[in-house]
Amino acid sequence: MGILIASQILNGLATGMLYALVGVGLTLVLGMLNIPNFAHGVLYAFGAYFTYTIVQLTGSFYLAVLVGPLFVVLIGFVLESQGIRRLYSAHHDYQLLFLFAVALILQEAIILIWGPVGFSVLPPKALSGIVDLGFVIYPAYRLALIVVTTLITIALWLFLTRTSIGAIVRAGMENREMIAVLGTDINRVFMWTFGLGAYLAGLAGALASPIIGLTPSMGGDMLPISFVIVVIAGLGSILGAIASGVLIGIAQSLTSIWWPEASNAVIYVLMGLMIVLRPQGLFGTR
Amino acid sequence: MNRLFNLPTLITIVAMIILLPIVQRPVVAAEVLTLGIAALALNLLLGYTGLLSFGHAMFFGIGAYCTGILAVKYDFSAFTAIPIAVVVTAVVSWLIGLVCVRRSGLYFIMITLAFNQMFYFIAYSWTSMTGGEDGLPGLRRPSLIADQWSFYIFTVIVFLITVVLMKRFVDSPTGRILQAIRDNPARAAATGYDVERYKLIAFVASGLFTGLAGAIFAFVFEIVPIDKIHLLFSGDILFMTLIGGSASFIGPLIGAAFYTWLQETVSLYWDRWPMVLGIVFALVVLFFRTGIVGMAEVFGQKVFGKRVVKTASAETTEAHR
Repeated sequence: MGILIASQILNGLATGMLYALVGVGLTLVLGMLNIPNFAHGVLYAFGAYFTYTIVQLTGSFYLAVLVGPLFVVLIGFVLESQGIRRLYSAHHDYQLLFLFAVALILQEAIILIWGPVGFSVLPPKALSGIVDLGFVIYPAYRLALIVVTTLITIALWLFLTRTSIGAIVRAGMENREMIAVLGTDINRVFMWTFGLGAYLAGLAGALASPIIGLTPSMGGDMLPISFVIVVIAGLGSILGAIASGVLIGIAQSLTSIWWPEASNAVIYVLMGLMIVLRPQGLFGTR
Repeated sequence: MNRLFNLPTLITIVAMIILLPIVQRPVVAAEVLTLGIAALALNLLLGYTGLLSFGHAMFFGIGAYCTGILAVKYDFSAFTAIPIAVVVTAVVSWLIGLVCVRRSGLYFIMITLAFNQMFYFIAYSWTSMTGGEDGLPGLRRPSLIADQWSFYIFTVIVFLITVVLMKRFVDSPTGRILQAIRDNPARAAATGYDVERYKLIAFVASGLFTGLAGAIFAFVFEIVPIDKIHLLFSGDILFMTLIGGSASFIGPLIGAAFYTWLQETVSLYWDRWPMVLGIVFALVVLFFRTGIVGMAEVFGQKVFGKRVVKTASAETTEAHR
């Protein structure tokens, strides 16, 4: 039982770190553009599918993880500059509905391009074995995933807190009128923020591809989870998004030990409790 | 009925009821009316209270599953199962509403969507009751409404009662307060109204009528398909409401008819129907934000030189959007 719990906590940590990447991406877009990106889930799916195709073409998983998410960024750029930007003057409900429509179109595009049948991606050879951690024997890829996502998260944190571009992004999330007044080209900031959000979603999809099956509906499944992360975190909190991503990942995998059918529903119960007990979220102030 | 509905609204309702079963099979006509009830109910929140819910498939699905489970597993007749399902949906929407109305704006949208997904997973996992992925088949319409036409007439009666109740609700003092909250929540609160309480009333009313729509829908094709509780169907109900026109009372009904027509037509030629839905959805959002009723108003102004379709909330809605 102890081994089972330990390995489930590690599983939860692995999916939780992926959730954290998706959640941080959504938080950035939400904070900057003031819209919940309904296409965020489908961008995650595209990250996984691009990875699959690049692995098929080149045989290199590492290359796929490096390049795949960049194609997702391109989709993000097009979405922001051709769609959302045209809707700035409209009520923001319309931006959100536009993104929902785009999510529908892109999900169908996945079916048209890759077909309705699911795929799986094999982890690279060096990471396909198992590792004996002493207290538990654990798949090497998942272990590497935990390490890599942790490093990415730290890098992202340093980027946002230690660089001048990061400062602009954080300032924009606090008060976007003010950074526009101070002479920053707000359109460019919006586009790059949306691109960064898309990148994080795509990267999570790419890294997730060896541990989950690729299906056209995987984006639709991720979208509500990313919303739960943001609600639990508190709107606009990057640290909160990381913490709540890990939290719900572990909550899900622990629930599946005792009550597997409820493991998908448990995160929504957590969200409901959070709203009642601490409406501003873990780290939120608003 | 006089004074309750203005002439264009009345004409729309009567024309729909007469024309639908002529151009379509009566069951499909009944389906349009049930979807119409759901879209009109969503608009109680969206158009009249200013709250965008992405979770209405949850109420539709709860109504439908509740009816289905009572009828299939416990041999309830339609006439007892439907009212019970409505009560259950009302209670659930009150509980969910208690949590949702605490937050507004973006939070509200995300929370309703998330709760929708929770109920989807419940329907998906609780296979002994709901049939899981395959849906819940085996409902039987009672002999009184067994054939298509008598079932259509039954749906029409329910639809008319519902429409009258909803219109009375939006014209009531409570409905007026909701519109005041939509236009300016801070002012409504400053005037002394308990904004959260009124939002909760709107939430429950909207959920209850959507649950009723779902309960009737269960008997349309005598099956509860699982996709009717999926969050994509929440998007569908929103689509109906918006394309019909959320600024008018009756717009969502027109939207429901348009949605069904589009789906029936497209799926004859191409099985990637959601793609078409997405494209039309995007075009509506980019170019036709006022919906069909809004376009009819503009057209009427050009042809007749005056506003022919005067809608319940048109005067205040422009300020809102």
